Amino acid sequence: MRRILILAVALVLGFAAAYGGSAAPAPTTFRIAIGIDPDTLDPAQTTTTTAANVLDYVVETLTTMDSEGKTQPLLAESWAVSPDGKSVTFTLRKNVRFHDGTPLTAQAVKWNLDRVLDPKVRVPIRAPYIPISRVEVVDPLTVRLVLKDPAAYLVAAMTWTTVGIVSPASVGKFGNTYENIVHPIGTGPYVFGSRVKGERIVLEKFPRYWGKKPFYDRVVVQIVPEATSRESLLLAGQVEMIILPPAADIPALQKNPNVKVLLAKGDRSIFIAINTQRPPFQKKEARQALNYAINKGAIIRSILFGAADPLDAPMPPVLFGYCKTGTYPYNPSKAKSLLAEAGISAGTEVELLTPTGRYLQDFQAAQAIAGYLREAGLRVNVRTMDWPSYIATITKPLPENQTQMHLLGWAPAYLDAHQQMLQFWSTQWPPAGLATTFYKNPRVDELIEAASKEVNPERRKDLYCQASKIIWDEAPWIFLWVQRFPIVYSAKVTNISSLPNEKFYAVYAEPVR
Amino acid sequence: MSGLLRYIVQRILALAVTLFFVALIVFLLVRLLPGDPARVIAGVFASEEDVQRIRVQLNLDKPLPTQFVYFLASLLRGDLGISARTSEPVMREILSRLPATVKLAAASTFIAAAVGIPLGTIAATKAHSSLDFSISALVLFGISMPVYWLGIILIIIFAIHLRWFPAAGADQPSSLVLPSLTLAAFSVAFVARMTRSSMLEVLRQDYIRTAWAKGLSALVVLYRHALRNAMIPILTVIGLQFGELLGGAVLTESVFSWPGVGRLLVDSIFSRDYPVVQGIVLIFACLFALVNLLVDVLYGLIDPRIRYE
Repeated sequence: MRRILILAVALVLGFAAAYGGSAAPAPTTFRIAIGIDPDTLDPAQTTTTTAANVLDYVVETLTTMDSEGKTQPLLAESWAVSPDGKSVTFTLRKNVRFHDGTPLTAQAVKWNLDRVLDPKVRVPIRAPYIPISRVEVVDPLTVRLVLKDPAAYLVAAMTWTTVGIVSPASVGKFGNTYENIVHPIGTGPYVFGSRVKGERIVLEKFPRYWGKKPFYDRVVVQIVPEATSRESLLLAGQVEMIILPPAADIPALQKNPNVKVLLAKGDRSIFIAINTQRPPFQKKEARQALNYAINKGAIIRSILFGAADPLDAPMPPVLFGYCKTGTYPYNPSKAKSLLAEAGISAGTEVELLTPTGRYLQDFQAAQAIAGYLREAGLRVNVRTMDWPSYIATITKPLPENQTQMHLLGWAPAYLDAHQQMLQFWSTQWPPAGLATTFYKNPRVDELIEAASKEVNPERRKDLYCQASKIIWDEAPWIFLWVQRFPIVYSAKVTNISSLPNEKFYAVYAEPVR
Repeated sequence: MSGLLRYIVQRILALAVTLFFVALIVFLLVRLLPGDPARVIAGVFASEEDVQRIRVQLNLDKPLPTQFVYFLASLLRGDLGISARTSEPVMREILSRLPATVKLAAASTFIAAAVGIPLGTIAATKAHSSLDFSISALVLFGISMPVYWLGIILIIIFAIHLRWFPAAGADQPSSLVLPSLTLAAFSVAFVARMTRSSMLEVLRQDYIRTAWAKGLSALVVLYRHALRNAMIPILTVIGLQFGELLGGAVLTESVFSWPGVGRLLVDSIFSRDYPVVQGIVLIFACLFALVNLLVDVLYGLIDPRIRYE
C-alpha cells in the first residue's frame, strides 16, 4: 500500500515536472469597469472620452499624447508644418498592419480623414478638422494635409480618437458600413473581439502589433453604471480596475491596502459661468466679488475629497498655452465691498443652475458655493435639471437666455488652448457654440483669432497668455477648479497610469511580481 | 373553445387600437421634454452646422404632423427606426436587451408567486397570531425597502464578504440570483398581502366551513378549496406585477449592471433618443397587454364558470 502511494506521488511529481512548464496557460484577463456604455465604436462618431478610451485599445491615431499631455508620434513617425502654416506633412511608420492583415498606407489615412470631413458621416467632433481643405497622398508612406487657413492646433488635434485610423477594407464586412462602423478594425495592441451591448466589450491581444506587446491576452470592459456597484466589483475581486468610484468613498479606498487610488490630473475646468450681458453681473467688479466670496480650498477638501486643484488661469495647466494668471483668495469682506461698488444691494436674488451627476460632486459643490454667496449677501437659489434640459436652457440665444449663473465643466479633447478659449470667444455665443457667459472683449477676440493661426509656438503661447490675463481680470467665470480623474485598481496589478484628458492608460498593465 | 379563440382575436384587435394611442402619446410626450436631441447627441464641441445636419438626418426639421406620419408609416412596416444615439436599428437595440429584462422579470415573478402565496396563506390561516404579525412586519419591510438600498446591501453581504454570487453583470447563471431577489422583494410583499386578504375573505365562506366539517385535511381545505377560489385577485396582481417588473427593473438593472431594456430606456431618455424611447414604450405596451390577456385566459382555467363570449 505504502509503496503504491509513493509510486503514485512520484508519478504525479514526474508529470508535473514534465508537463507543468509546457501546458498551455489559461488566457490572462484584465477586467475594467466603466460607467457608460459607449454610444458608438466608430472613431469618427465618438463624443465621449470613455468610449474613446476603449477604442484607443483597438484604433490608433497619427499622433498621441504622453502623460504630460505633449504630442508624440504614434502611426506617424514624424511630421512637418510648412513655414506658412498652411500644410502639414506626416511620415507614416513602416510595416504597420491592420487587424485584418492589410497594411497601413497613406491611402488608408487619406480615406479615413476624407471620411471624417464627409458630411454624409455623422462626426460630432468635426470642428477641429474643418480647416483641412484636402488630403494628399505624397507617396505610400507620406500624407499631406492642405489647410484653408493655418491651424496651429491641428497636430495636437490629430491625437483625438475622431481621427483614429481604421482599415478601409473593413467596410462592407463585420456589419460595417461607410456611414457607421460597428466593428472597428484598427492597428492597435488589441483586436476588437465581441460586444454585448450594455454589458461588456471583449478585446483580444493582437499578436502582430507593431509596438511593444501588452501582458494580458484579453481585456474585458464591463459596463457598470452605478459607482457603488463598480466599487463593489473591485472590492469583490471581480474586476482589476474601475474609474470614477463614489467620491465620498475616496478616503476609505485610499486607506484600503487591497486597492490603489490614482487621482489623475485632468484637463476639465469646473467653473460657474456668469451671464455677463444680463443683470445683475454685467460689471466686472461684481464678478470679481463672486470669485473672492468662495473658499475653493475648503470645498475641494470637504466636498471633493481632494480630487481637484484650484484653477489659477482660465485653463488647466496641462494645456499648451497655459500660463499662471492669478488667484482670487477667499476674502469675504472684499467680496462684500466689491458687490457694493458694483451697485448690487444685499439680498439681491439670483439663481444658480447646476447639473446633477455630470461632474464630480457637482450638485453638492453648487450647494456649498451658494452657501458662500449667501454669506456675501446674495439670496441664491440652486436649481438642477437633467442634462438635455440643462444644455437647452444654457444655450438659448441671448435675447431668450434667462440664466444668471450656471455650473459647467469643460474638457478639451486635445490639449491645446484653442478648444478651451472657445469659451471666451464671442463668435461662439450660443447657438453657434457654448460660450454661455456671452462674454465679449474685442481684444480677447483678436488674440484668440491670432493665436489659432500663429505658427511659432512661443509667440502663440504669449498670445494665449495675454488673453488669459484679461479674462482672469474680467472674470466671466467664477474660476473653481480642475477636476481630477479618479482611477482605482487592485493592488495586485501595476503599470496603470493616465492621460491628462481624462483617459486611463492601462494597455501595459501587468500583475505585481 | 371557439368562444375563447374569438375572444383572443377581439382582444388583439383592441390591442392595435391601444397601440395607436400609445404611439401618439409617447410621440408627443418625448417631444414635450425640454432639450434638443441633435445638440445632446452632437456633444458640446459640435459646430452649429453639424448640429443642424443631425437635425435633418433625424427629420427633426420637419413639422410635427409630418414626423408622426413618417413614424406611423415605418411602424406599419414593422420598422422602429434608427437610434439617434448609436446609429443602429432600434429593433436590434431593443431585441439585444429584451431577453435579459424578460428573464429578470420572469424570475422575480416566479419568486413573488412561490414565496408570496404561501406566506399570505399562512398569515391568513393564522390570522392575528404572532406568526401573522411577523409576516406582516416582513411584508411591510419588503414594500418599504428601496430597491437601491436592498441591492447594495445584498452585494455587500453576498458578493463582497461571502463571495457566493457575482456583484454585477449577467454572464453566468448565478448572476441572476441577487438582482431577481432584489427586484422580487416588493412583489413578494405585495402578493403576500393580496393573498392574505383574499384568503381571509374566502375562509369566511360557508363552503369552507362545510369542507372542514366533512373532515378534510387542512392541506386539501386550504389549497384545493380556499386558495383556488382566492386565486383570481392574486393572479391579477401577479400579472400586473410582471408588467411593473418589466418597467420597474430600471433601478435593479443599474445597481447590478444588468444589460436590460430598463437601462437602455433611461440612457435613451437622457440623450433624447426619440426613436428608442418610442420603440421601448411601444414594446412594453405590447408585452403588458399580452400578459393581461394571458391572465384573463387563465381566469377561465381556474374558474370554469368564466366563459369567453
